[in-house]
Amino acid sequence: MTTKVLRLNVNGEDTLVPVGPMATLQEVLRDKLELTSVKVGCAQGGCGSCSVLIDGELRLACLTPAEAADGCTVTTLEGLNESNSIVPIQQSFIENYAAQCGFCTPGMLVATKALLERNPKPSRDEIIEALSGNLCRCTGYLPIIKAVEDAAAALSGKQSA
Amino acid sequence: MALKDLKIVGKSVRLRDLDTHVRGQTTYYEDVRIPRMLHLKMYRSPHPHAKILKIDTTEAAKQPGVVCVLTHEDMPGKKTFTPLAAIGVAPEDEPILAFDKVRWKGEPIAAVVAESEAAAKAAAPKVKVTFEELPAVFDVEEALKAEAPIVTPWGKNYYQYPDDHAASQIRYGDVERAFAEADHIVEDKYQTKPIEHAPLETTGCVAKPEGNGRYTVYTNIQALYFALDNTAAIVGLSPAKLRFVGGTVGGGFGGKVDIQVEPIATLAAIKTKRPVKYKYSREDEMRVSSTRAAWRIYVKDGVMNDGRIVARKITTYQDAGAYIRLSSYGTMKHAGHMPGPYTIPNVSVDAYCVFTNRPPSSAMRGFGVMSGSYAIELQMDKIAAVTGVDPWQLRLINAYRNGDMKAHRKAADDAALVETIQAAAQLAGQALPADFAAMSSDDRKGG
Amino acid sequence: MPEYIRSGSVEEAVGLIAEHGSSLWIMGGGTIVMQVLESGADYWQYIMGLDGLALDGIERANGSWRLGATATATQIRAQPDLPALAAAARMVGGPALQNAATVGGNIYARSPQGDLAVVLLALDARLHLATADGEQAPSLGEFYDDWEAAGRTPPGLLTAIEFAEPAGEVVFMKCGRRRFNSASVISVAVNVAQKDGKVTEARIALCGAGPHAQRCAAAEEAILGGKLDDAAIARAAAAAAAACAPVTDTVASEWYRRRMVGVYLRRALAQLA
Repeated sequence: MTTKVLRLNVNGEDTLVPVGPMATLQEVLRDKLELTSVKVGCAQGGCGSCSVLIDGELRLACLTPAEAADGCTVTTLEGLNESNSIVPIQQSFIENYAAQCGFCTPGMLVATKALLERNPKPSRDEIIEALSGNLCRCTGYLPIIKAVEDAAAALSGKQSA
Repeated sequence: MALKDLKIVGKSVRLRDLDTHVRGQTTYYEDVRIPRMLHLKMYRSPHPHAKILKIDTTEAAKQPGVVCVLTHEDMPGKKTFTPLAAIGVAPEDEPILAFDKVRWKGEPIAAVVAESEAAAKAAAPKVKVTFEELPAVFDVEEALKAEAPIVTPWGKNYYQYPDDHAASQIRYGDVERAFAEADHIVEDKYQTKPIEHAPLETTGCVAKPEGNGRYTVYTNIQALYFALDNTAAIVGLSPAKLRFVGGTVGGGFGGKVDIQVEPIATLAAIKTKRPVKYKYSREDEMRVSSTRAAWRIYVKDGVMNDGRIVARKITTYQDAGAYIRLSSYGTMKHAGHMPGPYTIPNVSVDAYCVFTNRPPSSAMRGFGVMSGSYAIELQMDKIAAVTGVDPWQLRLINAYRNGDMKAHRKAADDAALVETIQAAAQLAGQALPADFAAMSSDDRKGG
Repeated sequence: MPEYIRSGSVEEAVGLIAEHGSSLWIMGGGTIVMQVLESGADYWQYIMGLDGLALDGIERANGSWRLGATATATQIRAQPDLPALAAAARMVGGPALQNAATVGGNIYARSPQGDLAVVLLALDARLHLATADGEQAPSLGEFYDDWEAAGRTPPGLLTAIEFAEPAGEVVFMKCGRRRFNSASVISVAVNVAQKDGKVTEARIALCGAGPHAQRCAAAEEAILGGKLDDAAIARAAAAAAAACAPVTDTVASEWYRRRMVGVYLRRALAQLA
């Protein structure tokens, strides 16, 4: 079994990671780098619970061979926790009770962050579409959508202030 | 007590773990980092019903990374269990690993334990089992026919309730006489289908030897102590030697009560002296975890022109799939829910818990009850159409009042259906006639 | 597990394809390959990624469009001048998936996937395939015929997809189970040119109605040469429903798909009437 060594910048830190053949980025982030906010809901691109940013773009870690991310910048929720811009989104999720079991929540937050970077004032429909790849089986979509609406308002309010 | 004095009721309460949820810091069972962990994948039956003639694990055991392959021969004591044995459900019908027969497509046969998940996954299909396929039955009413293939070890395709009853039964009043006197007979057949819970986090656990004869099991089971007791009995350890760590479940909805992974993972940890993780893939979760049961429900009602239901006869069949799990309990809940929240003087219910060669069904939010309500409320609309009584009014006429005797011979003392319907009508913008708007659960005035 | 390999150039990639034959699988965005690997399939020794080959350009020149094979659904949905294709790209999974999914991969997707392919058929697109014997440029329809005949072994490396600026109006419609990120029941794409109240050109393609996206000659014939009125549209819808060969899977039954082919084709054509 050949092992390759990848160079990744994960949450701001350069890191070298040995990986086996066709290891997924999901496995590398969770098992090697212990970034457990990256959840494994389906491992086949169906649930969004492993949503991360690769070079700033929303991607699914389960569908990404780790080797295809060689040389890339990867951001997980742990990395976003360090930035101020995520705090209003987290606060809004808390205030809107937008999590129940919490398993989809990290993916929801990363997808929300990606949406608001691209579109700071999304319509309700745009929010629904932007989160359409992130499943919540506790069926808490309404508070989640409301949380994103409130977060967008809070963030854009801050920007205009 | 006045509503204003209540501290919790009527108020939103913030989940305590919201703060960690939004930071990705909530610890689910598989977020616990455990070194030198092995992985377990199951070889499962490709047939819905077959005799097992031979299980050959030689080739699977030789695959790269494989540490051991467990079959029923590795069970230290009993080979079967049923999760609710502690509360009187019997017999222990479900093999932990199949031995003489398989009764559903997906039944576990051999557990392949390997150094990595990929190695276990690659090796599991190398288990060779020789089967003799048997005729299978997939329909509840077919399963109860004399010539049907026998699914259960006790020779009847239904759960035997105490005193050898084939069904969970209610007898109250005289339905046949009431039918004869009724203005209308309304009858129909209702069918629900199996539903998968599809929790976002799949079923799984890690069993870890502590080196002192004790084992810690990190699991997302929804029934922690049932799981501990059953596991102890299956692996042959005192419950005192097991520590089960539950906690946040990534979605359960009743789908994680069946104790399917903990016993075998613990057994593998005992055999290998290493931590063993047994996690369902998404495909496993969809194909082999239990579902909400499908139900077939026959309802026959005797109804008067004014909308009063004078008799209700129900014959109902739960498709338990191949094993009991929580289904016999579900059938009792179903029977207990009948004839719905209505005061009916003559009631007869026969609720059968039927075994077929489908995947076992089990708990799911309100199991037994939702299917009953589905049939009853469709039936109520049908009665409204037949009698011409407005469907809101029909329900108010028949709703339980406090003091009414239920078919189970317990007087209603917490009735709230009248007020609930009135509140729903208001929300829906449905005007009720004054006498219906003035009805109360406390008496039968106007009804 | 197979080995992940990359090539430094199209030439090298073509060499690797020729060398490894069916033991090599080409991966665009990984949305199909990674799912299949997760399901336990182990037929391949090599997975060849296309990152680094710079095949993701979208160009428009001289009345024709050229989409690089690894242009993503996200890139395509941002093309306002390709509304039907952009609409189809928007229906490929959710945003994270669209950021990965490539137009080239969509050509190879198993039906009922293939929302982009169905539009490309209606656009009469031509593929650019780099092979050991030089470049081939079959139409997408010809490509599917050859591909099926060759047991679904790709003849080489798909580098780009090219089509002329559509002369007619192109409409894409998808029947899904929900508004966004839905598995396909079926999808339809129509490209119809009309002159003096008569249909002069018609390309009608269906997805979810056969092993891959395909044109429906019977439906095209039903509207060619005449007025695109209710009767003609009904004839085309009936012809398509009769001619198609959908499958039953967990998303929809054969019966339902066949019904929806007729319904959606009628609705799509009605937009052009």
